[in-house]
Amino acid sequence: MTPTSPLSVGFLERLRRREPEALAEAVRDHARPLHRAARALGFAENEAEDLVQDVFATFLERLDQFEGRSQLRTWLFGILHRKTLERRRAAAVADRLDPIDQVFEARFGGNGKWTRPPADLERLLLSKEIGDIIRGCMGGLPVHQKEAFVLREVEGLATDEICKILSISVTNFGVLIHRARARLRECLESKGWERP
Amino acid sequence: MISCKNVANLLMSDQLETQSTWKRMEVRLHLGMCGFCSRLASQIQQLRFGAQQTRVQNEPDPEFEDRIIRRLTDIDWST
Repeated sequence: MTPTSPLSVGFLERLRRREPEALAEAVRDHARPLHRAARALGFAENEAEDLVQDVFATFLERLDQFEGRSQLRTWLFGILHRKTLERRRAAAVADRLDPIDQVFEARFGGNGKWTRPPADLERLLLSKEIGDIIRGCMGGLPVHQKEAFVLREVEGLATDEICKILSISVTNFGVLIHRARARLRECLESKGWERP
Repeated sequence: MISCKNVANLLMSDQLETQSTWKRMEVRLHLGMCGFCSRLASQIQQLRFGAQQTRVQNEPDPEFEDRIIRRLTDIDWST
């Protein structure tokens, strides 16, 4: 079984019987990316492990509702998304109006041309600390934007799979990833990395 | 002629692939002529590269999966 293939009926049955080998296979295939995503979403090491444990326990409890048509990965990330929102309820209020949109808009004049063009961030790309810097900037992203960014850019999932996981439209995903990137760019520019 | 703002919005929102062939061609032509928009396009790639560097820091220890498996198999699922 690969992480992106739909579940076979046989494997699903083995999971329903709680066969230890089937459980182990599912965990070995999916626990690590779930843990990475949880950490990237801002959960501490022990919280992330607890969350992944919770995701698998919920998956096994609700296995009868899973028909195996979608990928196991999509299902598990969907549970992770709902658990994240439960645990970050206060921060999870949908941000319909986001000031970052105006910050991005202000970079253009009335004719649609750049008035504040993107700074040169070449040095940042080449820096050894790039991971730490982006990690720091990601800390400032609202939870929905962070989820969209992590699933797309860190875990490399396709748009349609992300939309299923987050239960959003392609347009909404576009808004979230746009805002996440705009916010991260502003953060990187504010750190002065563009200066030679 | 497509504007920088339109190109930037399409790039930032990952919506280029959902556009018509004509629109995608217009964007490609624009990127070939506009240094600022092509800089933005390459920075989106750079941001992806940088974001992937965070994976290493977020990896759990080697025994992580074993602990999860042990706890899952310890649960009494009959209750």
